[in-house]
Amino acid sequence: MLNLDLFINGLLIGLFYALMAVGLTLIFGILKIVNFAHGEFYMLGAYAYTLAAQKLGVSPLLALPLAIAAGALIGWITERLLMRPLYSGYSSWGLMRDEYAVVVTFAFSLLLVNLVDKVIGPYPSRGPPLLNLPKLILGPVILPGPKLIAGGVGLVVIGGLALFLRSSLWGKQIQAVAQNRLGATLAGIDTARASSLVFTVSGALAALSGALLAPIINASPDVGAFPAIKSYVIVVLGGMGSMPGSIVASLALGVLESFGAVYISYDYRDTFGLVILVLVLLLRPHGLFGEKGRVV
Amino acid sequence: MALARSARPSGELWPPLVFLGVLAALPLLVGDAYWLGILIVSMYFALLAVGWNLLAGYTGQFSMAPAAFAMIGAYATGLLARDLHTAPWIGIPAAVAAAGLVGMALGRVVMRLSGPYLALTTLSFAEILRLVIGNSYEYTRGDLGLGVPGLFEGRLPYYYLFLGALLAVQLGVFLLLRSRAGLFLRAIRDDEVAAASRGVDVVFWKTAAFTLSTAISGLAGALYGHFSQLVSPELGLISQTGLVISMVVIGGMGSLLGPLAGAFLVYLGSEVLREVGGIQLIVFALLVILFARFFREGLIGLARRALARRGA
Repeated sequence: MLNLDLFINGLLIGLFYALMAVGLTLIFGILKIVNFAHGEFYMLGAYAYTLAAQKLGVSPLLALPLAIAAGALIGWITERLLMRPLYSGYSSWGLMRDEYAVVVTFAFSLLLVNLVDKVIGPYPSRGPPLLNLPKLILGPVILPGPKLIAGGVGLVVIGGLALFLRSSLWGKQIQAVAQNRLGATLAGIDTARASSLVFTVSGALAALSGALLAPIINASPDVGAFPAIKSYVIVVLGGMGSMPGSIVASLALGVLESFGAVYISYDYRDTFGLVILVLVLLLRPHGLFGEKGRVV
Repeated sequence: MALARSARPSGELWPPLVFLGVLAALPLLVGDAYWLGILIVSMYFALLAVGWNLLAGYTGQFSMAPAAFAMIGAYATGLLARDLHTAPWIGIPAAVAAAGLVGMALGRVVMRLSGPYLALTTLSFAEILRLVIGNSYEYTRGDLGLGVPGLFEGRLPYYYLFLGALLAVQLGVFLLLRSRAGLFLRAIRDDEVAAASRGVDVVFWKTAAFTLSTAISGLAGALYGHFSQLVSPELGLISQTGLVISMVVIGGMGSLLGPLAGAFLVYLGSEVLREVGGIQLIVFALLVILFARFFREGLIGLARRALARRGA
């Protein structure tokens, strides 16, 4: 019966991973770049939540929206200041855009980590619990409160996001730009606004997941590194840019880690992701749901 | 577009040679052990920067793991010396081979794909390797660090050892770039599909460049291990890779002198900024963003443009 417990807990973690990774998927979908500062959005969310609750004394339920707002703001700023040159007016960037995106987002991640380290300090701080939810015990399955909240919020937000992308006008515009940027422009879609929106949403989601985990993890400047790596694994496993793919991949990674931590090794649980990454690249490089690459 | 980029010269040999010549004479002026140490560490970074530039500047592939491969090199020679009592002249080549082989294995997996896969995979690899080395306390002594035997008494011999390695690597890279292989690499950087359509074995050459670049990192790490006589997982920190990338981007990607000059400027600058209050990585991250955004050719490009303007 231990297995059922592991499975359900793994799914909960997976839902949470989906919340973390889906922003990265959206950005890759629309700009075809990887945002290497994604983990730092998560880190800022954890800090915004913790500091708002500790230093400003606001209730955790109010600190959470503040953290989301902080994430949205940093996402918006990132797109505005750093990503615009990728698609506005620099025709000669065609060949170099990958190098630019890698170098600039990586440098931005270093900048955020070291700024936080300098301004707030390198010492980890733990956020207050969002709600005092007791452990839920269903027969053999034991679900700790914070995990339940994180998984539940993940489920609701991902569902809402899917609905937004599918049915709303803005969501459809984002899909159109992801499919064909030039075509979307010709159809009168403001591609710059769509990109801006995607970065804002991506920052908000990453910050939300950081804030949700703040009661469990200790917010420290480098706390975003491993969540970011997990998100990369998920994005590759799901097929770069595929939303359903990354959700399935998140659930799979959550369950695998949950079993691996018990049956293989707890100390090395973070390494499973790399093993999966290498296996995917070897066996199915376009991921579970990705389209096979085609160069025109 | 592609033409304009290819027309950029691959770099002449004399500027780096002059630079290394000045370095060879520098100990006549700087006898102080502290400054010699700083120059030696600068040369360690210069080796990493030259290796990274071979891959990024000339092949267009972005690795996030130069520091991690240096860590592999340092641990390889350190563990060999501790467990098998091998001499450094076996340990150092073994470290180069170890880093190169790991690089080749990783390259074979990733280089079949184009796009951001190399950056994603190497970043994950670097962080997880650091975690594994830190956790494998029984073999590596974890975060306490592993003692590595020294090679010489005093710092001057180390200085010339690093200088010799740097000269050899720089010459090797120059000759490679001048050969057919160098032409293939630049063709791949400028347009992978076009290069493949003209019969360049894209996957092979990308993997070869990555292997070479990781082997250079391994050499740098092995030498650094023998110099500092202690290696710890901190050697592979992602911020160390950040420094290497800063050096190349600020100095000038895709040139021979750029990474060299960048390594010394950034490392000396980081020593000064450390004194000011540990703001070195904030400053360099900002500079990298500014250079990538506005001065894509780096300081070398700016200097070249200034010279051209004065000549005109």
